Amino acid sequence: MDAPLIVSAVDVHRRFGQGETAVNALDGVTVGFPKGQFTAIMGPSGSGKSTLMHILAGLDRPTSGSVAVDGVELPELDDRRLTQLRRDKLGFIFQFFNLLPILTAEENITLPMRLAGRKPDPAWLDELIAKVGLADRRKHKPSELSGGQQQRVAVARALLTRPAVVFADEPTGNLDSKASEEVLQLLRGAVDDYGQTVVMVTHDPSAASFADRIVVLKDGKVVSEGPAGDRSQVVDLMREVA
Amino acid sequence: MLAASLKGLSERKLRTALTAFAVVLGVALISGTYILTDTISRTFDGVFTQVTKGIDVSITPRKAFNDTNQGGSPPAFPASVLDRAKAVPGVERAAGGVFDQASVIGKDGDRVGAQSTPNFVASDEPAPFNPFRYVQGRAPSAPDEVAIDRKTVSDEGWKLGDRVKVLGRSAARTYTLVGVAKFGDLNSVAGAGIAVLTLPEAQRVLDKVGRFDSIDVKAAPGVAPAQLAERLRRALPGSVTVRTGTEQARQDSKDVKEGFDFIKVLLLVFAGVALFVGAFMIFNTFSITIAQRTRELSILRTLGASRRQVLWAVVGEALVVGFAASVVGLFAGIGLAPALEALFKAVGAELPSGGTVIEARTVVVSLVVGTLVTLLASVAPAARATRVAPIEGVREGATLAPGRAARLKTPAAIALSLLGVALLLFGVLGGHSGGAALGPIGGGAALLFLGVALVSSKLVKPLSTGIGNPLESAFGVTGQLARENAIRNPGRTAGTSAALMVGLALVIFVTIFAAGLRHSIDQAIGKSVTAPLVVENKDGWSLIPGSTAAAVGRVEGVSGTSSIRLAPGKVAGAGSTDGITGIDPATFSQLFHLEWKKGSDSTARALTDTGALASESWASSHDKHVGDRIVVRTQSGREVPLTITGTYKNNAHSLGDLTVTNPVMERDFAQRQAQYILVGTKPGADVGQVKAQVERVLDARYPTAEIVTKDGFKDTQTKWVNGILSFFYVLLSLAVIVSLLGIVNTLVLAIYERTREIGMIRALGGSRRQVKRIVRYESVITALIGATLGTVLGIFFAIVASRPLASEGFSLSFPVGTLLLLLVLAAVAGMVAAIGPARRAARLDVLKAVAYE
Ligand SMILES: Nc1ncnc2c1ncn2[C@@H]1O[C@H](COP(=O)(O)OP(=O)(O)OP(=O)(O)O)[C@@H](O)[C@H]1O
Ligand SMILES: [Mg+2]
Repeated sequence: MDAPLIVSAVDVHRRFGQGETAVNALDGVTVGFPKGQFTAIMGPSGSGKSTLMHILAGLDRPTSGSVAVDGVELPELDDRRLTQLRRDKLGFIFQFFNLLPILTAEENITLPMRLAGRKPDPAWLDELIAKVGLADRRKHKPSELSGGQQQRVAVARALLTRPAVVFADEPTGNLDSKASEEVLQLLRGAVDDYGQTVVMVTHDPSAASFADRIVVLKDGKVVSEGPAGDRSQVVDLMREVA
Repeated sequence: MLAASLKGLSERKLRTALTAFAVVLGVALISGTYILTDTISRTFDGVFTQVTKGIDVSITPRKAFNDTNQGGSPPAFPASVLDRAKAVPGVERAAGGVFDQASVIGKDGDRVGAQSTPNFVASDEPAPFNPFRYVQGRAPSAPDEVAIDRKTVSDEGWKLGDRVKVLGRSAARTYTLVGVAKFGDLNSVAGAGIAVLTLPEAQRVLDKVGRFDSIDVKAAPGVAPAQLAERLRRALPGSVTVRTGTEQARQDSKDVKEGFDFIKVLLLVFAGVALFVGAFMIFNTFSITIAQRTRELSILRTLGASRRQVLWAVVGEALVVGFAASVVGLFAGIGLAPALEALFKAVGAELPSGGTVIEARTVVVSLVVGTLVTLLASVAPAARATRVAPIEGVREGATLAPGRAARLKTPAAIALSLLGVALLLFGVLGGHSGGAALGPIGGGAALLFLGVALVSSKLVKPLSTGIGNPLESAFGVTGQLARENAIRNPGRTAGTSAALMVGLALVIFVTIFAAGLRHSIDQAIGKSVTAPLVVENKDGWSLIPGSTAAAVGRVEGVSGTSSIRLAPGKVAGAGSTDGITGIDPATFSQLFHLEWKKGSDSTARALTDTGALASESWASSHDKHVGDRIVVRTQSGREVPLTITGTYKNNAHSLGDLTVTNPVMERDFAQRQAQYILVGTKPGADVGQVKAQVERVLDARYPTAEIVTKDGFKDTQTKWVNGILSFFYVLLSLAVIVSLLGIVNTLVLAIYERTREIGMIRALGGSRRQVKRIVRYESVITALIGATLGTVLGIFFAIVASRPLASEGFSLSFPVGTLLLLLVLAAVAGMVAAIGPARRAARLDVLKAVAYE
């Protein structure tokens, strides 16, 4: 727990709606994510996992509280700066609709770099594509790839820019166990081999067991924070906090 | 189901509004056209009824044949007819009058009124025949007095007592303004300046001494006009027409209205084009929304809606949109009518108007056409909607399977295109006369447009690649995404760009055709006119007095002049009327170079009053040869026997079909005025000095004429082409605007579909500007596809249309600069169309876009 925090949130609140029907999706969350570690965010449905991730990633703004990524205070940034931050410092993997259907696998991988107006390092690109096992699928369109392959493209895309942190929201939510395992191995590998920081939202205790740490949310609050352990330990932890 | 349609409508307000707007524009043009022309008709009916109130019977010259092309007013008849009429029992009073084109010279030294409206001289007539009412002063009573129409007087700021120059068939003369006249209730007739002179002076000015253009008759008490007309008809020669006052009013009104008829046809054609383009847009919008609503329709089907109910839900929506838009268009037409009037005024044709006349026909045609077009355009998408299977759409991302019809699409499109081309060729080359060709040409063009639009979905990919690749090189990933977006739904992109293709093809066609006209006229003048100077009317087309030539000929340094005169004639045994040219044989060859087929310059010099030269195209189509004798009938019914002594190639109609001597023109065709006068200079004389001296003579005595150099002559003879071209541009711009709305519509729908993709691009670091660019470039690509196809079709049309004219010296010339400029403008238009949609895309909430339901 000595590693410096690359992402930190202090007393973050997020309220949706107003008056009677207002929902406090996040109700005073203070949490930190150490550099070079793989953190899983868990919690029951509606506990605020996605909301927290969106706020950490600059896709949404907190109602109150402060968020910093790699030393930058997010709530102070305007839309243009936030966009720049996402492009330069963050990587994303979503559950659905990760890829643009009109681009090939390789073009999808290089999209964020090209949006930034930069050229990917060809050696690094080749290495990543080989690593995610898509060397023979570079020119394929997403519709010609399996769900697992599509998510592996998304992983390669998230890693290509060597971002400060990769955010993944239920990256395996749509995959069978074999495909899930491949994706999770890739994320694990990125952390181990390249010192990549990864924050992953998941429901699945098996997925969470790939992480170094687990943060558990409930009703918009952090109820537990600690090392992950194996699958059964995660299951126990979840049962404990429920 | 209707409830479902209505609900659908209100949920897609923007799209519905844009679709409806296409219909509104087209319908507004239809109703505006009808309202304008009906108003004009009603005004003229009223005026002519009023001014013929005191006339029981009217006697006018009979034209030997009807002629619309060659101009020329009907020949006057001898004054002796008046005496014979007066002798007919039952005639209480009868008076003769003259009325013909002349020029009233304004303060600036030019003819008054707009460039393209003529001026007239009318003789003062005694009561009760006089059509003029004097609102100030009185009728002219001395030869040096004039009364002038109220509009001209107020435009020129004249007062009673002012001196006004009027120029008829001889040198100008100055008169004293003694009266301000209204024609019936009108301040002017269609903006034409009118000078009223005493009868003898008017006859002198119009070169009609001893002749009349009309005789008005008042019946004795107890004699019915119809009865008196019958008596007069029997008593008078066949060269006159006898009508009752009421009949004459109807006839006069009809004559004037016929002049406006082409305006109606022209405007309705443009309304048709706008609606045709609108139909593309409607078809496209419905197709896209049906695809987007696959899921909703599928759920409806699952819940037990029959195919027929689904069909009616879509058709019902079209019906409601079409009808509502037609109603709006109908009323918009009321506002558009004055705008159209202003447009005509801008090109110089002033139309009289009083109030707004909305005939039942206007309402019916507007509503029916607008609704029908919308309905027809929605049939195919509606049929597609019925193929949504109940369970199909419930699956995420389901798309409609292509139906059986899809396989037939390409062959059908090719068949349509070929049929269109065949019809076009039939219309252009079939040798139809004017109006008859319009049907096959219009139909052929429409079919070709449809065919190409259908085929073009196959061309979207190569064209998008061709246009998009440079965009990608220039703008990187945004250019690439725009290109891929344009390609992903080829049918949609094709349909959207096809609408622009139609408008642009027509723009390009008229552009090329006009350039060809200018070029051909330039070339013809360059080759044929060898005179260094030319005298013509300042407006470039009106006649100038015949005596101008003699006056110019006396100027120092002028070696000789040759007048070119024109008159209509009809050759016995030939169906159509032919333009006859008059020349001065002695000087013609020195000042004009004829491309001879049979004969030489000495043939022209040897031309006598019994000889004629014929154009090669006329001679071959009428199977006439050198040595053949022909009989030409003039407008007054005179028969002129002539022998063909030579044939020439008629480049760009610089001469008529037949050429005779000017004495024949004068004696038999009663044409004493010149179209233009070729002026030669003596060797060693300074052309500029001669020109300046001629100018002085013209300013003093023939102020409507001007002298120009050969290059100046080219300019004035091609100036009208530009005027007509801009007029066409204005009307075609409506169709182009509709097609741009189509682009807006498609983009908005596409952005709605791609909400998630756009959100993802933003999440991955794409800026708002980049999102805007993607939308904008896609719009540019779509516009350029339409522009490319439109250019190709426009060039094709121009080539086809110019084929039959090639023998008359018409040669195409491609204004490459203008064509490139049009392409650039199309791209800019694409950018403009994308402004709204791009902003919409950039404003999308990233979070909403990536958060799945
Ligand atoms: N845009 C929104 N408007 C209103 N309420 C929202 C919005 N987004 C989230 N919420 C609410 O905030 C709470 C937290 O939602 P969030 O999506 O973060 O949960 P989650 O932990 O990701 O759940 P799941 O595991 O089902 O994805 C929920 O009660 C949800 O209904
Ligand atoms: Mg969630």
